[in-house]
Amino acid sequence: MIWRAAWRTFFFHNMRIIAVIPALNESKRIRSVVEGTAKFVERVIVVDDGSSDDTASVAERAGALVVRHGENCGAGAATMTGIEAARALKAEVIVTLDADEQHDPHDIPALLQPVVSGTADIVFANRFGQRNRIPLIRRFFNAVGNLVTFATTGRWVNDSQCGFKALGPRAAAEVRIRMSGYEFCTELVRESVQKRWRVAEVPIKVLYSQYTLAKGQSFANGVKTALRILLRSFLR
Amino acid sequence: MLPITPYQIITPLISLLAIVYAWSLVAKQKKTIWEGGLWTLFWAAIAVIALFPDVLDWLTLFTGFKDRQNALVITFLGILSFIVFSLIIRLEELEQRHTKMVRSLALKDAELEKKKA
Repeated sequence: MIWRAAWRTFFFHNMRIIAVIPALNESKRIRSVVEGTAKFVERVIVVDDGSSDDTASVAERAGALVVRHGENCGAGAATMTGIEAARALKAEVIVTLDADEQHDPHDIPALLQPVVSGTADIVFANRFGQRNRIPLIRRFFNAVGNLVTFATTGRWVNDSQCGFKALGPRAAAEVRIRMSGYEFCTELVRESVQKRWRVAEVPIKVLYSQYTLAKGQSFANGVKTALRILLRSFLR
Repeated sequence: MLPITPYQIITPLISLLAIVYAWSLVAKQKKTIWEGGLWTLFWAAIAVIALFPDVLDWLTLFTGFKDRQNALVITFLGILSFIVFSLIIRLEELEQRHTKMVRSLALKDAELEKKKA
């Protein structure tokens, strides 16, 4: 624990870094994600988005601060709840990542680097920035997501739909996610345009398993998400 | 030159108002410049179609609506779509209120709400 604190002080200039992990029915995976993430941040917040299994108690035992949604509200809503909780704990930097072991916590220092060095307000992870084994269909969905995001925000982000992000002090204080579902990824890009945040992208590893692939968005969900993003941008 | 109908006067005026409204939202930072641009394109297209209906001729190549009845059906479909979109937005607003309540309760249970700045 002491060397971890010393390491964080040395690399992250004593910034208060808090990780936010939205989780739904991830009791089998949340423990390793929390333990892996805790090595790189001061505190881990898990937002249990109305799970029907014991995700919350497993996360608590793994050392996370658990915030429980009484009902399932969606990934965007859970992420914003985590951000509010992190703000209440005076977080200066917030890292968000998925609870399904898709993201490798060892990428957190690289993701934080542009924020800590003061060159970016928000850092988007890029699963396509290095050689990852990503199924073709997943690449296609992400390309569509990127195009819809660009059409509605005017900003191109290479992996706009990835849940692994770092918010610097300015973004952590200003961010306001209103979309409840997966559209929140596009909304964050919009926030970066509207609030003129400096943006950086960092290549990361991605660990796809049969489980994460099965749990990913279906085509119908993807279409629904794209339509909601387009609609919102017009009728906002 | 054909006489200008009231429709050709009112529609561009409404379009102009909508564009001014959109840019006022941009000025208030509620819309991005990009969204203001998209909104402008949309309403400008409506105004151009109202002023110069002949530009719709190319649409007949794709849609086949050559007579007034078809055009009327298409117009009402457009209006209905707009109403459906508005309802969706209303539903989303309700969903957001619900989410806020769930969030507020969750933060209260975690004893984090009182620490908020």
